[in-house]
Amino acid sequence: MKRLIMCEGSNELAVVNILLENDALIFTEDDLLGLTPYHARQIKNNTQVQAALSMYFGNDVLVMRIGDKQTDRLVIQADFKEKICETVKYCTLPELEMLLIISEGLVKEYEKVKSSVRPKVFAKEHIRCNQKKYDNSSQFYRDYYGSDCGKLIQATITSSLQSPRILLP
Amino acid sequence: MKLLRVKASHFKNCCDGFTIDLTSKSKKTAEDKEYELQEIAPDLHAFNTAAFIGKNASGKTTAIELLDCAYSILGEFRLEGKHYSYDGAQLELTFYHDGFLYLYETALSSGKTMGNQAVFRDERLCRKEYFKTNVKEIFDREGYEEMQDLGDLPEDTSKVFFILKKKQTRAVFFDSFSGGSDTYQTLFRALKNYDIGMDVLAKVIRIFDENIQELARVDDHNYRVVTGGEERIMSDTQLIYFLSSGTTKGILLYTLMAASLKEGFDLLIDEVENHFHKTLVENMISLYKDKSVNRNNATLIFTTHYCEVLDLMGRQDNIWICNANSHIHLTNMYEDFNIRPVLLKSKQYYNNAFRTAVNYEDLMALKKVLKK
Repeated sequence: MKRLIMCEGSNELAVVNILLENDALIFTEDDLLGLTPYHARQIKNNTQVQAALSMYFGNDVLVMRIGDKQTDRLVIQADFKEKICETVKYCTLPELEMLLIISEGLVKEYEKVKSSVRPKVFAKEHIRCNQKKYDNSSQFYRDYYGSDCGKLIQATITSSLQSPRILLP
Repeated sequence: MKLLRVKASHFKNCCDGFTIDLTSKSKKTAEDKEYELQEIAPDLHAFNTAAFIGKNASGKTTAIELLDCAYSILGEFRLEGKHYSYDGAQLELTFYHDGFLYLYETALSSGKTMGNQAVFRDERLCRKEYFKTNVKEIFDREGYEEMQDLGDLPEDTSKVFFILKKKQTRAVFFDSFSGGSDTYQTLFRALKNYDIGMDVLAKVIRIFDENIQELARVDDHNYRVVTGGEERIMSDTQLIYFLSSGTTKGILLYTLMAASLKEGFDLLIDEVENHFHKTLVENMISLYKDKSVNRNNATLIFTTHYCEVLDLMGRQDNIWICNANSHIHLTNMYEDFNIRPVLLKSKQYYNNAFRTAVNYEDLMALKKVLKK
């Protein structure tokens, strides 16, 4: 089986790459279609994913979509339908920034304002790394978790208690 | 150093002001920034891949030769050994280097040596500091200041030397004629010069001919080949018959690609479909678009009749259509055509949206003669 990881945003991609580099998932880069996760919302709009699917001739591709929307339906072109055996969705609801909030131990503080403030906005106001404020960039995730994947795994475990669809070894 | 734009007049049969702009012009989505573009300075994006299309004799080769010419100036500070005349050509190169934008203008003429060397005349080198707030004005002459008193050089050496100083491969041009028996010399020279490991060569050979277990250089003209556990020493001429010229070309081109991706220089390929299977072309494109492989901002630039390959290019501003009447003209798929991004580029190509179709009347005229 080949896993096709499609991250809706570049930050999700950065997080998945950090987990892969640190061998923190139940699969490795070798199990991935094209040996890499992709930043792609839909197959039809992403020529890099299309190229990876075109080059692969098996019919056992498991599409793993990672993002914060549950409603967006994956459209699979006729050319690729036979190659894809299953599609699963891993939801980062409410937002990926919850990982940073958990890592900073700010969950209780966030709980107080969560009805009016999105995690992204809260993170921008409260979270820093090397004197730099959170700026919604994938580089921030690299800087924050890149040298300490354990912190990312811990945040993921904590988060997975609320959302069971998180992949861990 | 990254080449941003080349403008030429009187170069071969090009129209005046013939321009190839290698920077992004259309909207940049987050996915484009991940796969289609490379950020060479804050907010300044160049293409990971670029293509020239058009029917036969439309000027695709000339367009890519112009780029080769520009890269030769930027890499070796001279032009020599090309198969065309430089007389009367005027070039304007814009490139980015170490925080500055440079605008270099020169007129060319042929030198009096046998090696077809160009002489640089009326050179002008200007620069301005790059700021991301001015990204839309990178080609505006305003703000560029001429660099004076740079010093003297031989007439066959470009003043770009004063900026870039060190000779360096800026691009490799793989033309339609490559693939003779000297290919193996080039191949092993490339492996040595660019420090490409034999493990990479083994993987490349495996793609093209799975029966070859080993290929190693004995001396300049002899090679050791292992197939089916049997070792043979072959001359380069014997080897090209043994491996086929297609395999030979493919091995060289894929090795140059590995060098380009490792070193970050650009790879220019004329008629990419001449060299191998479509999947291998698709694979090359996908490698240049993958930042985990293309870590040093190399760009793949090619000419093709394989319009299906264009469907793997997510943007339109990196595709040019060549047309020739009395002179060669370029049009840009994004700037000069109104093509909806959702439509397959290949289908548009075959529907003659870019006016590249082979003339039906001409085909029928030939058939009519053949029927007689």
